[in-house]
Amino acid sequence: MRIIRLKNIVQWLSFAILMYGGRVGIHLGSALPCFACPFVPGCGGFCYLMGLQGYIGFGLFAGLAAGKEILVALGWFVVFVALVALLGKVWCGWICPFGLIQDWLSWLRNLVGIRERHLTPTVKKGLGSIKYLCLGMIVVLPPLITAKILPPDLYLPFCSICPGKLILPLFAGETKYLAINLDNEVTLWVSVALVMATGSSMVGAFFKDRLFCLFCPLLALIHFLRPLTALRLVKEPSFCVGCGACRRNCQMDVAKIDQDIAQVQTIECVDCLRCAEACPSSGALSLKFFGLTIYSSSRWDTKGLSL
Amino acid sequence: MNNTENRRDRLLKKTIEKVLAEEKELLSWLKSRSDYQAELDYFLDITAARGTAEIEARVGRPVLNLLCNQVPLELIAAAGYQPVKVASGSLAEASFAAYSWPALMCPVIKGVLTKLEIDKAALKAPWVIPTTCDWVVKFWEARKMVDPSPGEVKFLELPHFRQETESQSKWLSEVIKLKEWLETVSRQKIARKDLLEAESALARVFVAVTQLKKARQEGRLSLIWFLLVIGSLFYDLPDQWAQKVTELINKLPQTATTGPKVFLAGSPIFYPNYKLPILIEEAHLRVVADDLCSSERIFPPVGPLEDTSIHGLLASMAGRYHQGSLCPTFGDNERRVNNILGQRNEAGLVGVIFVVLKGCHPYDLESSTIEMTLKNQGLRFLRLETDYALEDRQNLLTRLEAFRHSLSGD
Repeated sequence: MRIIRLKNIVQWLSFAILMYGGRVGIHLGSALPCFACPFVPGCGGFCYLMGLQGYIGFGLFAGLAAGKEILVALGWFVVFVALVALLGKVWCGWICPFGLIQDWLSWLRNLVGIRERHLTPTVKKGLGSIKYLCLGMIVVLPPLITAKILPPDLYLPFCSICPGKLILPLFAGETKYLAINLDNEVTLWVSVALVMATGSSMVGAFFKDRLFCLFCPLLALIHFLRPLTALRLVKEPSFCVGCGACRRNCQMDVAKIDQDIAQVQTIECVDCLRCAEACPSSGALSLKFFGLTIYSSSRWDTKGLSL
Repeated sequence: MNNTENRRDRLLKKTIEKVLAEEKELLSWLKSRSDYQAELDYFLDITAARGTAEIEARVGRPVLNLLCNQVPLELIAAAGYQPVKVASGSLAEASFAAYSWPALMCPVIKGVLTKLEIDKAALKAPWVIPTTCDWVVKFWEARKMVDPSPGEVKFLELPHFRQETESQSKWLSEVIKLKEWLETVSRQKIARKDLLEAESALARVFVAVTQLKKARQEGRLSLIWFLLVIGSLFYDLPDQWAQKVTELINKLPQTATTGPKVFLAGSPIFYPNYKLPILIEEAHLRVVADDLCSSERIFPPVGPLEDTSIHGLLASMAGRYHQGSLCPTFGDNERRVNNILGQRNEAGLVGVIFVVLKGCHPYDLESSTIEMTLKNQGLRFLRLETDYALEDRQNLLTRLEAFRHSLSGD
């Protein structure tokens, strides 16, 4: 089976579980390393970013007093690290529901025959730094909100502007996040920001594969834990002829991948394995789990071709 | 003047007879081989009838001639042309060219210049020429000596550093210009649907080529038949050719030939110059893979299509035919050797035979660097320099046999 087809099956299954799992009693916890949105009614698990904001904001204050809250926060952090250690970036490329929605937009673009736009390295670098801003926002703002330095309506600051919060609940029939919240000035601007962030992400993802992943703070967080991950994309430079098939097929336009180097899993990489499937050199690109090869490029593989 | 012309005409007439005799001799020898199969007749027939008019009659579309393997075949096909890579391995054709051209000149180009005198229809067809080696760059100028009325030609300015981003962008713009030129000469717009169909057809051919490579690696198909079958690709419709290859593969014996497994690299080998493949076989060496631009590298590997817009398809083509080309005329071709190293374990290679055609300077130069790298990696290396002449047969065979002994240790 073509690896991309397998990925699609996994993505659809994950989408079903993470979006509707709660309705049949499935809940995978509050530390998932993907955009499993807690604002989706009846969802099957929560994105860790929500918990992280909550624990940083309230755990540090209320939790310090209670003691027990700290243990809960640490517990979920350990679960998050364990999940990242197990599957690494596969969470982004194969499981994330918001990633699947972006893939649908790419599919739609291809269907109508509109070309994909590629970002220049400078623009890409500039846009990529937004994820660190988001990460900074997740760490810095919640304590300020708890300390009442910032208004409480900014509660869960990243979720307030996360496009997932607007898009994903729509699949469960929840449309209230589409509306501009006129409760007060803060909610007005936050909801305007949410609509704008979502609109630009969706339009961007239509013209550029997985554009939002460039900004995703979760991708950065997973990458920081890379030394612990068991599942890795590995390159054997001595088998690479530099044909560039990997880079041409990379959704994230990882520039390094066709270079004469072993370390190709950059922060943007989402382990989608398109590169390995497109690579015509046997063993040049492989996905390894605890050093064991799970999938490897092959000169004999013609399954990915459009026949 | 008249005497000179008469003499030239007489020589050309004699050359045509010699070419026919050369091919006839090879064809009858091929048919007498123990591994000959009736399914190979199809490829023998289309190779024997490869004149421009014969090809056009067979495929039902006009021929577009090209040199080298950087010209995107699917783009030519999408414009409604039959892409034909013009090459010659004929000793008689190369010898006739010595009448007008330098002795130490690429024998392939020499042969092609004579071929054009024989196949006049090829002169009138449009041409696409990428600026690869010096011989190819100067070819059109020399071709004007054969027929001063210039036909339609499109030069593709090949950037000689394939890993540089600027080179890649420049090459993409060349491919886009090629599309525009093809639309002008064919008087038809190349639609996205045409490109997608041509891509799919080439993908089916690639699947057939992969089957051929596998059969050769398993020892079920000899190098000689491999070269003949793959070389006939340009004289047929892609789907028909792929279908016939599949039929052939299904009929091949399951038993494998034996002998030390070697990789064949270097200058291209074109029909009917099978001197070296025959000698390699006589020396009981088994070629399991190669990187000749007349063989495995006849077109770059086809991959998945992710961006199927017109621009996306052209960009994918541009990348494959430029960055994916292992042509020695590139200035940053060091990683070419990885193709051999990568197949060492997979195919069980023990040695590499590197062919240099006299006058083929890029391969000549590259042979030294490749030899050094491969020897450092523990692979045995044999460099053979030759041309189309048959006088050095015994000498080459002796060297090949000695190489075989060094590989098998007997």
